[in-house]
Amino acid sequence: MVVHPTLLIVLPLVGAFSVSLIRRYGGGAIKLYGSAYLFLNLIISAVLFMEVRSGGEVTERIAGYSPPVGIFLAVGAVNAVLVLLINLFAAFNYLTFNPKDKEPFHRFTVLYLLGVASSSGIVLTGDLFNMFVFFEIAAVSSYALVASSKDERSVGSAIKYMILGSVGSTFMLISIALIYSELRTLNLYDIAHRIGEMGGAVRTAAFTFLIVGIGVEAEIFPFNGWVPGVYGRSDGNISSFLVLGPSKAAIYAILRVLITLFYGSSSRAVMMDIAMVLGLITLVVGEVAALSEKDPKRMLAFSSIGQMGLILIAISLGSAAGIVAAVFLMVSHASVKSALFLSSDVYRQGGMRYTLTGALSVGAVLGLVGMPPFAGFWGKWYLLSGAADEGLWIVIAAVIFTTAVEAYYLARFLSRGLSMKKRGGVKPTRVITMTVMVGVSLLVGLFASVIYEMVSAGVTTLLSGGI
Amino acid sequence: MRRAVSALLALLIFAYLFGVLLKAPIPGDYRDERYNYYSPLSGREANESVPDHYVERGEEETGSQNIVTSIVVLYRGFDTLGEVTVLFTAATGVAFLLSTQRSKGEKEKKKEPNFMASTGVGLVLPFILLVGAYIFVHGHLTPGGGFPGGAVIATGFVLMLVAYPRFQLREKKVSVVEAFSGLAFAVIGLISLIMGLTFLENYLPKGVAGTLLSAGIIPLIYIAIGFKVGSELSAIVSHMKGGEE
Repeated sequence: MVVHPTLLIVLPLVGAFSVSLIRRYGGGAIKLYGSAYLFLNLIISAVLFMEVRSGGEVTERIAGYSPPVGIFLAVGAVNAVLVLLINLFAAFNYLTFNPKDKEPFHRFTVLYLLGVASSSGIVLTGDLFNMFVFFEIAAVSSYALVASSKDERSVGSAIKYMILGSVGSTFMLISIALIYSELRTLNLYDIAHRIGEMGGAVRTAAFTFLIVGIGVEAEIFPFNGWVPGVYGRSDGNISSFLVLGPSKAAIYAILRVLITLFYGSSSRAVMMDIAMVLGLITLVVGEVAALSEKDPKRMLAFSSIGQMGLILIAISLGSAAGIVAAVFLMVSHASVKSALFLSSDVYRQGGMRYTLTGALSVGAVLGLVGMPPFAGFWGKWYLLSGAADEGLWIVIAAVIFTTAVEAYYLARFLSRGLSMKKRGGVKPTRVITMTVMVGVSLLVGLFASVIYEMVSAGVTTLLSGGI
Repeated sequence: MRRAVSALLALLIFAYLFGVLLKAPIPGDYRDERYNYYSPLSGREANESVPDHYVERGEEETGSQNIVTSIVVLYRGFDTLGEVTVLFTAATGVAFLLSTQRSKGEKEKKKEPNFMASTGVGLVLPFILLVGAYIFVHGHLTPGGGFPGGAVIATGFVLMLVAYPRFQLREKKVSVVEAFSGLAFAVIGLISLIMGLTFLENYLPKGVAGTLLSAGIIPLIYIAIGFKVGSELSAIVSHMKGGEE
């Protein structure tokens, strides 16, 4: 083990705890301090990624006790990709915040660092209760970040989000209690190994409540009532953070529940089917709602719901192709949808004709629809081929239909945005961050074999109940 | 109509959960063989259950006489770091939002405190702080620990705010305590990594279980948690009241 995965969680915590000590040096110094931790995290997650790529899984025990007596972090191919993705985009996204807009900036930085640390924590941990704790941190910091937006109505949206989020996490906690009362363990892999010993009714309830609880954060229909309000009223760079951080961590948590946690369950096939149906409804409802939405931010919010449905469908295929598709779709959504949210503020200012923002938005839209050579293309490609392998024609039809819908409303978004000249200026940091996001989507698409080989090597162990 | 539907839905969920709980077997002895765990790292089945391990080997492995504390601070110490952070996140969120959206220029009338209240608080405050500190310092020996100890300390400050309307927490000083106590917890864990152990692993002598100076790093962590929880809860109340930034 070259690097300790724990550092990805603990270092931002250290940063968050200590940032108030340097607040008298002003917003610029605080921003530098926060960025230092985020970019350090980026380096660590890149090293971790290389390590997993060359040597398979990485595990780390906490406090010296071997799991399930203690907690451990379990990094396989899929979450190594995801943790790198979250830390990469979170670091660049942080640069787009202006200290003067977010007074007091040291508190804002605390919330942002905690949001990043907890998203990494959800993705890395191998323990169900530990995952719940990180969900709590991610949720609480998200509520406060949303409420800090310029639009004053964002406070109302944040309260709605908070109520739904709290109910969701209560369901998650009930589920964990049910599992613990039957198995006396909280470790994901220990539960997975012995899930057959649980009573059928209790197991079904545990599964249902877990999906409901995580589903609120993962924007799954019908638990996603908060999404349009929150994304519609938040600042673009806060929405982009929610898209690249907490929501990606949540959909990955769904993957852990469906693929790993209920691995040994006799009713797993039914559970996967339920998830598939939820994913299809989420996809179609989200995309159709986006079509009828005029406001650009709310349209992107509904589109985001649709994309999360698409990822859920890929996961619930339960095959190697499905997991590979899910990884590409997560990369695609975290990169280009975040970039579009960043452009949405410029869009609202009047337009983006003849600007770099406009050009980058065109790239982001192409990536989102799934044009080659962007990452989204491979996501949809593997999803379609995975669905075709299993003869799921309804999935293929839904994906093609929603892609057409998506192409239509995104073209409308672009044509309006590009037909008007911009009035306000765009901060160069925002353009740099958007370039990184669209660039990553393009690079992952061009060098898809790197991710494909790594993930498909890891998927075999993942699908047989391993890390 | 909407209300009726919501109420019906809530009733249905309640009935479902109740039905599930009726079907769930009454939890048996924690030492029962069916609870024996599977170790994901070695891939073997153990011949003990997780709670059994805590009860039987907790004192020997951690040096803490209080088994609950050994679980909270060491076995599941990472969760506790997270829980402290949840509170910290909430406190920061409150401070962040209240300081940006506070209406300026409004000054509430400050009533003179009741004589009984102000004298009484002056009298009990030292004892409240002492009890709070006692609870978290003895966390590895007696029931309690950092969270309740910190909460007791915070009630002391809440009483001050109630009895003396002009009393204000020095926001800067509180945030220094908040910062250093949080850092202490994280750094105690990071020292383990530097020493070549795993995060939060004990590196101090365990001593004799049952004495004050025992259980290695547990008392240090609980003292840090006590200060952290105490300062955060006090800061939340002070911000709600409208203290100065």
